[in-house]
Amino acid sequence: MKDIIIPGRRIARELWVLAGCFAAAVCVNVYAILRFHTAWKELITTLHITLAVAAVFYAVLALVRALVFGLMRVFRGKVA
Amino acid sequence: MDSEFSPLASPAPQGRAQRREFLKRLAVVASSSALLADLPWWTPLRAEPVGNSPADRVRLGLIGAGTRGSFLLANLLQTPGVEIAALCDDYPPHLEAALAKVKGARGFSDHRQMLDMPDLDGVLIAVPLFLHAPICLDAFAAGKHVFCEKSLAYSIAECQAIADAHRGSGKVFQIGHQRMFSPVFLRALQLVRDGRIGPITQMRAYWHRNGNWRNPVPASGPDPSPFPSLERRLNWRLYLDYSRGLMTELASHHIQVANWFLDAHPVSCAGYGSINYWKDGREVYDNVNVVYRYANGTQVVYDSLISNRFYGMEVQIMGPEGTIEAETGKIFSENPPPAPGIVQLINGIEHGFFSAVPIGGPSWVPELKKDTKGSYLVQDQSTDDGTAISMAAFANSIRANKPIPGMMEQACRSGVSVLMGHNAMEQQQEIAWPEGFRE
Repeated sequence: MKDIIIPGRRIARELWVLAGCFAAAVCVNVYAILRFHTAWKELITTLHITLAVAAVFYAVLALVRALVFGLMRVFRGKVA
Repeated sequence: MDSEFSPLASPAPQGRAQRREFLKRLAVVASSSALLADLPWWTPLRAEPVGNSPADRVRLGLIGAGTRGSFLLANLLQTPGVEIAALCDDYPPHLEAALAKVKGARGFSDHRQMLDMPDLDGVLIAVPLFLHAPICLDAFAAGKHVFCEKSLAYSIAECQAIADAHRGSGKVFQIGHQRMFSPVFLRALQLVRDGRIGPITQMRAYWHRNGNWRNPVPASGPDPSPFPSLERRLNWRLYLDYSRGLMTELASHHIQVANWFLDAHPVSCAGYGSINYWKDGREVYDNVNVVYRYANGTQVVYDSLISNRFYGMEVQIMGPEGTIEAETGKIFSENPPPAPGIVQLINGIEHGFFSAVPIGGPSWVPELKKDTKGSYLVQDQSTDDGTAISMAAFANSIRANKPIPGMMEQACRSGVSVLMGHNAMEQQQEIAWPEGFRE
C-alpha cells in the first residue's frame, strides 16, 4: 500500500482554516446573542453548538475548495 | 428533583431486607420534610424501621384475592414486619392461587370466620364495591384494623356508615388511593404549594382505554353465590348491582387527587354518560363526562371511555404559570426560558427555508398545544406508584395502634364525589354535596 505523506505546511494551513471556521462560528454566536438578547454566558454554554457550526463551515469550505481545485486542474490541463 | 425528595426517587426495592433499608430512608425524609409534615397520613412512616422480633410483627388477613387482591398480596409479602396470617375468597380458584403464595396462611371462604381469629390484627379488603361497606362494618365490629380498596362504598349512605363506625372504633383505617403515597404526586403537590404554576385555576383528568373491560369467564365453575351467574361474579364492574362502573373503579383515583390538591370537596357536579360502543348487555356506562364545581370557583373536568386509548390517562393541574401532568410526571412552564440565541438563529434559518406560509397571513398562528418538553418531577420514572409505601404505612399504624389522621376524610371525599358524579349522570341534573355528611 502506498504511504500518503502530508507535509507539515499543509497540516498547519488546514489548522488555520479550521481556526478560521471556529472564529466565524463564534461570530455567528455573538450575532445571535445580540439579535435575540440572550445571555453572554451562552458563548460558553453553547460551545458544543459553536463547534458543530464550525464543522459545518469547514465542510462547506472543503467542498468549495475541492470545486475550485478541480476547475483549476481542468483549465490548466486545457492550457497545457 | 429537589434534595428533599431525592431519597424517594428510587423504586421501592424488592426483598424484605432492601425494603427495610428503603423504609429507613423514608422515615428520615418523612420526619424532616416540611411538606410531608403537612400530610397527616405520612405520620406512620416517621416510625423507626421495624425490627425482626415477634413483637414487631403485624398479622394481617386479605379478603378478596382477585386481581387487585393479588397485587396487594405481592406487596405485603415484601413489607417488613408483616405476616399474612389468613386469606379469604369465596371463589375457590382465587383462594387456592393465593394460598399457594403464602406458606402457613389459613384459608377461608367466609370473611366472618376469618374475622373471628383473635390474633388477627387487621384486614385488607379487595372485594367488589357493593361488599366494601358490609365487610368494613363487620371488620370494625370485630375490632380489626381495616385497609379498604377504593372506592370507599357503593352508596353515600354506606360511606357515612363506614365513617361513623370508624369514628368510634379507635382502629386504623386506610383507603387504597396509592397516589397519596406516590413520590411523583408529592413532588407535584410541593410545586403547587411553592406557587410554581400559580393558583390552581382548573384541573382536568381522564382515563381512556380501548377494550371491553371484561374478564374471561370459564364455561363452568364453582357455585357463583351470592351472584346469580359466574359472568356477573367475574365481571361485577359491568353491573349496577355491584359497581358504579367507570366512576368508582377508575375516576375515584383522579377525583381523590383533585380533592387533595384543592384541599376541599366539590360543592356540586353535573355530567353525562352513556353506553355508545360496548352494547353487550352491560349496565354501566362505557363513557362518562363529569364536571365538578368547587367553592373557590375551580372546576375539575373528568372524562373516561373504553373505546379509545390514544390519550391514555392523565391528571392535568393548571395554573396561570404552568401545568403539571402528574401521571406523566412532568411540569410545563407557561413561559419557558427561551432557547439559546444560536439555536433560535438556526431554527429561524430552517423555518425561513422550509416553513409553509400560514393560511391567515403572517400574524395568524394556530393556538395548538404547546410543543414544549417540560421537565420531570422526579428523576427515576420507575418510582413506586405508592402502593409499597402505603402498605408500610398501614403496617406501621397498626404496630403503633394509632389511626391515620386525614385518611377517612380523603376516602369519604373521593368516595362521595364519584357517587355524586354517577347520580348526576343517572338523573341528568346537577347534584350537590350531601348536606350534613360527616367525614
